[in-house]
Amino acid sequence: MAAPSKSTLLLKSVKKIVVQFCPFESNVRSTREFLALVGSEKARSTNMNCEVIPVVKHDKSEPVIDVTYVDGERLVMKGGRLTCSEMLNAFQSRCKDKDPQTLAGVKK
Amino acid sequence: MTYFLFNMAATLCVPLLRNQGWLPLVQSVRHGSKAVTRHRKPLHILKQKLLAVTEYIPPARVVPPGVYPSQNKQVQEENGFALLLKKDLNKVFEECRMIAVVQRNASSAEDMLVLKHRLFKHGIRIKFFPNQVTRSFLINSVYSNMAPLFIGPTVLFVSKEPKVKEMLSALRASPQMTLLGACIDNTLLSAQGVVSYSKLPSMTIVQGELVSGFTMLTSRTASMLQRHPAHLSALLQQYIKQQSPDKDAEVVPKAEEAT
Repeated sequence: MAAPSKSTLLLKSVKKIVVQFCPFESNVRSTREFLALVGSEKARSTNMNCEVIPVVKHDKSEPVIDVTYVDGERLVMKGGRLTCSEMLNAFQSRCKDKDPQTLAGVKK
Repeated sequence: MTYFLFNMAATLCVPLLRNQGWLPLVQSVRHGSKAVTRHRKPLHILKQKLLAVTEYIPPARVVPPGVYPSQNKQVQEENGFALLLKKDLNKVFEECRMIAVVQRNASSAEDMLVLKHRLFKHGIRIKFFPNQVTRSFLINSVYSNMAPLFIGPTVLFVSKEPKVKEMLSALRASPQMTLLGACIDNTLLSAQGVVSYSKLPSMTIVQGELVSGFTMLTSRTASMLQRHPAHLSALLQQYIKQQSPDKDAEVVPKAEEAT
């Protein structure tokens, strides 16, 4: 399993994560690993208000991860051909960008 | 050391040497260097040359390695523990009517304990098996289509009676567990299939409904026949009348089409 680049996932700026996949397909591995990492206790403890919603379908659709941030921005990742580490890097970089901004804004 | 020996030899054998002109018994060729060193000792030039000349040149390969699959690869024996787990799995699949596959996203030990207790009240047990073992077992058995479900942290819920409603309610209480699929009565169901299965009425109710539907028809005909035959003949005449205007209506448009 690919380990995250940072040991802690910051979910403070995330409002909702919807992970949708069809478990009988073969390209679901990375999406499921992403779900396992994001849904872990450590990640969820950074933000208890953030909801992680897995949706299990059976219509041979592509696995999709839909992230809604607190400021309304949405990140849609189609995990069919992405690896877990790529998705995590993209997700974490965006979280990091949003988080210090809010913190800096609060400080100022 | 060598010098000492040389001296000893000289004192002991001096008369012999002087007489016969022999070469000295001890010759210190290398003075001061030891055999066992911490660094790599440089080889003597002759030894170096010999090694260089006699280096191994492998024969040129006609076929590059890795082109053909190796024939001896499948001799890997299964771990004894894996065999034991497979036997256990086999027993589980034979005994239990309902097997559900659930992905757990790191719920704490207390949550797991609470869930286990809740499900045990209804006779559902939670089983853990390593994914590799389950996959190899499933691929060799009839349930090969379940194999792609077992990726990542998965848990099996097994029970002898398919108590789906209780299981679903318990799963809804813990948000980290995701139902992926289930095998109920040797039928593979998806998550939505499981939900619709839970909404089905029980077997007795369905059988009762079927039986009542059949008996209704027969009871109606029976009651109709039991009435006065005049009533029955009147009904039949009415029926023919209803049929005949339809027939007349059919005949007329056909005649119109012909002409």
